[in-house]
Amino acid sequence: MIRLQGIRKAFGKNEVLKGIDLTVDKGEVVAILGPSGSGKTTLLRCINYLEKPSDGEISIDEFAVNCRKPAKKDIHALRRKTAMVFQQYNLFRHKTALENVMEGLVVVKKLPKAEARRKSVELLEKVGLGDKLDAYPSRLSGGQQQRVGIARALALNPEVILFDEPTSALDPELVGEVLAVIRKIAKEGITMIIVTHEMSFAQEVANHIVFMEGGTVVEEGPPKTIFRSPKEERTRQFLARFTSDSAYSI
Amino acid sequence: MKLDIPFIWTALVSLLPAVPTTLKITAVSVLCGFAIGTAVALCRMYRVPALHRIAAAYVTVIRGTPMLTHLLILYFAIPLAVDGLADRYGLAFRSAQIPMIGFAYLSFSITAGAYLSEVVRSGLLAVNKGQMEAAHAVGMTTVQGLRRIVFPQAFAAALPNLTNSLIGMLHGSTLAFTVSVVDINAQAEILATTNWKFFEAYLAAALLFWGMTVLIERLSALLERRVTRYNRGGVA
Repeated sequence: MIRLQGIRKAFGKNEVLKGIDLTVDKGEVVAILGPSGSGKTTLLRCINYLEKPSDGEISIDEFAVNCRKPAKKDIHALRRKTAMVFQQYNLFRHKTALENVMEGLVVVKKLPKAEARRKSVELLEKVGLGDKLDAYPSRLSGGQQQRVGIARALALNPEVILFDEPTSALDPELVGEVLAVIRKIAKEGITMIIVTHEMSFAQEVANHIVFMEGGTVVEEGPPKTIFRSPKEERTRQFLARFTSDSAYSI
Repeated sequence: MKLDIPFIWTALVSLLPAVPTTLKITAVSVLCGFAIGTAVALCRMYRVPALHRIAAAYVTVIRGTPMLTHLLILYFAIPLAVDGLADRYGLAFRSAQIPMIGFAYLSFSITAGAYLSEVVRSGLLAVNKGQMEAAHAVGMTTVQGLRRIVFPQAFAAALPNLTNSLIGMLHGSTLAFTVSVVDINAQAEILATTNWKFFEAYLAAALLFWGMTVLIERLSALLERRVTRYNRGGVA
């Protein structure tokens, strides 16, 4: 179980997160929705300390990090319990698809090379890239790169995978193949937190929706409730563009 | 005056014994300079408390003064310091025991360090920030991320500039003659004055330097092909 308590983050005087509380159960798929600038991505990046929260507590099962005075080894431990899939993929550019997936296994998990390789090949096959093992990222399409990114995250066997707008940088034709992979692993009971603008995908895959705005959680609940009968006016407004038929009329 | 072409060849041959001296000075100053430069660049990029200020001061002072001046200052400062310390602690060591080439090694390493720190820094800056984030995200420490992910890419990005610096130091090493180190150029001067054939001797030295530079260029091109292999045949 992942628990965030009172997470705050300010960039200078600009407070981006104003005390976020969030609990994610094991095996749960949580989608974080909200307008641009609402702090969704910052929140996600706080969970593995790519952003340093100014206050609050992050805990994964029994392990807790006090964000006021985090020890270096705690931050490191937190990162080893989490994995992230980036909007810009961030594959290691000088390593092949296979090496990208193996890297964490060999360097961080200290697996023997042969075993790391076997596991990595298996995962790349699972995301449909069994034929691209030796390709460098520069030779892969965005969708393929992102699927390598997902395999890299899966390889670490983390407590939770954090998805930061995993399809936002993709052209529409490639979004489907990435979502299909995420859908597939969601069914395997891996805990996931997804920041996304893909509303229908969130509705379909997530079993918990968090709606954020202005650095606070406006409303959260199961997808049915949030999408069909949100309590807050702001949530309704935001989702109206997506749910109403006139969504994209010009 | 007539150009004595056969003498160019004679000079070239008699300059060869000085080649190792030139190469040693270049290699030592570039390797030590690269180590210093990397440390300085990291101190500045990660804003290491106190050290990053010292690093910035080092770069501006050293780049702000000529390489020849560094050598001359050290040439006079080091004996003063060494002999002063030896006197105070009653040691037998004397500055006269320091080989002349030692001054060139030390001085040129300090010079190269300042210039190379900027080359290294530009290389590090060329690597997308997301690379280190991804390294952290898979659980690596910053040191692991630097070594395994950032440095190889930074090296590839910095290689053309590194080659530039290497060639610059190869040619700059000729200044060592001011502290009586006999490198290629100094050897050419000796040859020139003893045979009264200045033009030929310096032409031979130039040919030798050019040859070595071409060699460096070739090696660098080969190395570049290798280390940037991952960037070819694709986009962005």
